[in-house]
Amino acid sequence: MLKHSVLVLLLPLVSAAFIAFFLRKRGGLASAVSVATATAIAAISIILLNHGERFERSWEWLTLGSFTVSLGVKFDDLAALMLVIVGVVGLCVHVFSLGYMHDDQARSRFFGGLSIFMFSMIGIVLADNLFMMFIFWELVGFSSYVLINHYHEKQSASDAAKKAFIVNRVGDFGFLLGIIMCYWLNGTVSLTELGAHHVFSTAIPLLLFCGAVGKSAQMPLQVWLPDAMEGPTPVSALIHAATMVAAGIYMLCRIEPLMVPQALTVIMWVGTITALYAALCAIVQRDIKKVLAYSTLSQLGYMVAAFGLGTLVLTDTSIIPGTGKHPVMETSYWILGNGAGAAMFHLTTHAFFKGLLFLGAGSVIMGCHHEQDIFKMGGLRKKMPVTFWTFTIGVLAIVGMPGLAGFFSKDAILYLAMEKNTAVFAVLAFTAVLTAFYMVRMWKITFLGEARSDEAKHAHESSLVVTGPLLVLAVLSVIGGYSGVFAKLAGSVAHLVPEAEGSAHTTILLVSLAVMTLGAGSALFFYKSAATDTLEEKFRFGFSMLIWLKESFDRAYDYYVAKIQQRFAMVLNFLEQIVLAGVIIRGFAGFVGLVGYGARAFYTGSLHTYVYWFLLGAAVLWAFAAGVF
Amino acid sequence: MPSNAQLLQLAIATPLGAALVIALGLPKRFATKLAAVAFTVPALIALWLWAQFPAEGASHYQFLSTHDTGLAAGLGISLKLGLNGISLPMFLLAAIVGLAAGLYALRSGAERLKLYLTLLLIMHGGLLGVFASVDIFFFYFFHELALIPTFIMVGIWGGRDRNYAAMKLTIYLTVGAMLSLIGLIALYVKSGAHSFDLMALKEAIAHQGLAAATQKNIFGLLMFGFGILVSLWPLHTWAPLGYGAAPSSAAMLHAGVLKKFGLYGLIQIALPLLPAGAAWWAWKLALLAGVGNVLVVGFVTIAQRDLKQMLGYSSVMHMGYCFLGLACLSVVGTGGVVLLMVAHGLSVALLFMLATSVHHRTHTFDLAEMGGLAQKTPVLAGFFVAATMASIGLPGFANFWGELTIFVALWKFSPGLTAVAVAGVVISAIYGLRAAARIFFGPPSEQLAKVTAEHPPADLGWLERLPALILLAALLFFGFYPKALSQPVDQTLNPAPVERILPVHPSPPRT
Repeated sequence: MLKHSVLVLLLPLVSAAFIAFFLRKRGGLASAVSVATATAIAAISIILLNHGERFERSWEWLTLGSFTVSLGVKFDDLAALMLVIVGVVGLCVHVFSLGYMHDDQARSRFFGGLSIFMFSMIGIVLADNLFMMFIFWELVGFSSYVLINHYHEKQSASDAAKKAFIVNRVGDFGFLLGIIMCYWLNGTVSLTELGAHHVFSTAIPLLLFCGAVGKSAQMPLQVWLPDAMEGPTPVSALIHAATMVAAGIYMLCRIEPLMVPQALTVIMWVGTITALYAALCAIVQRDIKKVLAYSTLSQLGYMVAAFGLGTLVLTDTSIIPGTGKHPVMETSYWILGNGAGAAMFHLTTHAFFKGLLFLGAGSVIMGCHHEQDIFKMGGLRKKMPVTFWTFTIGVLAIVGMPGLAGFFSKDAILYLAMEKNTAVFAVLAFTAVLTAFYMVRMWKITFLGEARSDEAKHAHESSLVVTGPLLVLAVLSVIGGYSGVFAKLAGSVAHLVPEAEGSAHTTILLVSLAVMTLGAGSALFFYKSAATDTLEEKFRFGFSMLIWLKESFDRAYDYYVAKIQQRFAMVLNFLEQIVLAGVIIRGFAGFVGLVGYGARAFYTGSLHTYVYWFLLGAAVLWAFAAGVF
Repeated sequence: MPSNAQLLQLAIATPLGAALVIALGLPKRFATKLAAVAFTVPALIALWLWAQFPAEGASHYQFLSTHDTGLAAGLGISLKLGLNGISLPMFLLAAIVGLAAGLYALRSGAERLKLYLTLLLIMHGGLLGVFASVDIFFFYFFHELALIPTFIMVGIWGGRDRNYAAMKLTIYLTVGAMLSLIGLIALYVKSGAHSFDLMALKEAIAHQGLAAATQKNIFGLLMFGFGILVSLWPLHTWAPLGYGAAPSSAAMLHAGVLKKFGLYGLIQIALPLLPAGAAWWAWKLALLAGVGNVLVVGFVTIAQRDLKQMLGYSSVMHMGYCFLGLACLSVVGTGGVVLLMVAHGLSVALLFMLATSVHHRTHTFDLAEMGGLAQKTPVLAGFFVAATMASIGLPGFANFWGELTIFVALWKFSPGLTAVAVAGVVISAIYGLRAAARIFFGPPSEQLAKVTAEHPPADLGWLERLPALILLAALLFFGFYPKALSQPVDQTLNPAPVERILPVHPSPPRT
């Protein structure tokens, strides 16, 4: 089984390299290679899941003195679950792309990019230590950069790719510092060894969390994700909805043993605020992909909040007097893991239904000849029946319709919040209302009513390679939440999912039904499938408040980049050119006078003079040595 | 079958000999062929020697050979060649970058190509000699041998401001070389070894030791002398200007390899021989490098509009990481510096080469006048993005390992400076990606549209691709298999060149 796991990591790398070097101009062949690789990955991931063997192995990669980085595989139930998600959703997206990217000029680059992404993502999943995770963490950032930049002739795509990479690096700044600190404090970065034993620290989990804030686009680094929608839609589905952005949550579950209560509180609030903020922003979006992007942000916030809501149980504390200034408090926390369980559960169902929604949006965009504004759509229900019905299932799953996947996982999180923190519970419940509201708004405006543009009038259903993956994901979005199915996928992780019992069960059921009905119902009645936004017409103030809210972050960052960072750089550059190069160094040169004059003298004559000087010096030295003097 | 020691001599002699033959008047068509051979032979030998280097237990020099120069009796100077675990990667770097620069020069079609090739071959031979010399007199001599052609090449084939650049380059580098020469002579005199042989010097100093004050003074001389050559802030201003003006192959060899001479000297000579001096200067060096090279120059790089200036400044910034690694005075830090020297040498050479290729197509280095070139030259864009990613430390490329090990070592020296250094990673992403985007992506600027309408740009041809592929392959190979570098380095550095002076961090409780 170890060989399988190594194979599943290396296959996509080989595929990407092969495409980059040999198939650059053969789009058809490149897509075939990439899809075949994705199929193999999905198959192997299912084999690994079913086989049940769980293992660990590592190889030394680099050694300098006491410092060693190793390359290893840690394949436990958590990794098995994540690998299957990446494999299955990955395969759906690859197949979908065959249709979606069929006429693209740069298909090879696109499919090569998908393969390099699969390689990087699987690396994160299998990594057995934090350095290795960081390596692949950066590599998914690179693949994301390449794929967002796919339509690179567009300024907006180029800007978005750059922004995504840089913002992620800001998060990685903390992540890397956290890893290094963890290395020196604990003497190891192996996940298993850290789980067995580690030093108490609040700084380490918080620094590591910075990485998740960047990759999973939590506040205040959420700004790159909506822009990342400039990439092709399948990329948005795979990378910016189902897998890569969820890597932050996966990483948190991996480092769960390092958590301390203070850190969890911070994580909980960051997630909660992100969930609410993004849901508010989603209400006023016109672009079908942007609605889904903000929805993804909001759902990621849900997962992060769920993780932060997890319980720590203190089992053993002992204080060892350290040799430094502070006594080293050695603590073993045993974590109940219900937060991680709930987060991974929602991650799984979200991967299915958000993958479905994005691919559905892709199908709609194809059908409407690359129109993305929902107010220019309408009436697609009859023209694109398969897309419509599968999309409807996705919408029902995300709003929490009982019986579908999202219902179960969202309930688990709401239940956890209800038990732990009433304020967080209130915010998350309100977010759930908003989620139902904006999803139904989009659904109604896109599919119902009359076609409002020529593109929508001439819309047509997509071909089987496009609708096939939609059907697969729709099935998963229905069944993925049932405990039998999830237990099969997640093994021991499934036991960690909190389940409400007795009266709490009734309460949480009523709450989630109420929020869904309230959100969905009001959107259904309030919005008309028309060419204009009803909210903008009737509540202009509220609408512009939401727009302001959405844009405030971008404005703040733009202000920082253009007015602070760039000006600071210009000032330093000015000082560098004028003061340093001009005054100080030249003044110094004048001080050394003779050297300066001498150098200038032989410069103005000829550079060759220098050569003669050098030879003369060598000759003198030689003579001296040979005893002439 | 010649012995490995003879092969090492052959590697240095080939380019120098070829330069002599070409200079004596070989016809042009033979000259280019001879040059191609002379650039290739050292690369093959370097690869062979690298494969022959023992996998373990090689803490001393391998492939040693000694030739008396007639100076051994009076001054203790003899041509002693050999490679240890630190010089081996550098020798390999010099050979690879030399090959790439040579191949690029052969197809460059420069005016007075024979003179150009002669100078480049002398430079190449000098560089190989620097890293193979065990005798510090020849170490210095080979450096000068490589340096002089640089001045001449900037003066003759340089671009904009070439006269000013050549002058500034000459003044700075001469001053730097003089300071370090004084330091080396002082070391020779104070050690009492009566020998320039590094191994004999080491023995003599281990035997009697040097007074702390002497160490402090000599280390200071070496640090600033070598520091100027490596562009230590604030003595770096020659670098962007010089590289901006230098012809591509000279810039590749100088920024890629020759610049590392100073760092290499500090690692091989100053750190092991002057531990107390190093400890005294460590914090000062770290502050200059951390605040000056990384932060200030990092921001200055963001403000650059000219592609070559930007590359020059970014190279200055990355040298800051090397100084920070040195200041840690630990195996991990010093080893990281060697990794980063090799990686940076490969990536910066690749970037300077590609910058020239971009210039051939845009007829400008001004970033504001470019844009959208990727539509016309996708392969060039691919190479440039890969080289940019390498230089900003993306895992998978060799640079990542250098930066990572330096950061790890630096934490023990100072967590605050580590934060500054890691912040540099964000800064380099900003200027690196901005440059790539301005050249290749988005719609083309008006000026570029005009230029491309007159001269439709062709994508990279095979002759241009070959040197780029060589450099990229090396970057990827060391990125995926860092042990190839770390193994020899670790053998030589472990045990540590310098014991840690600062109090040891409380070690974690282990059970």
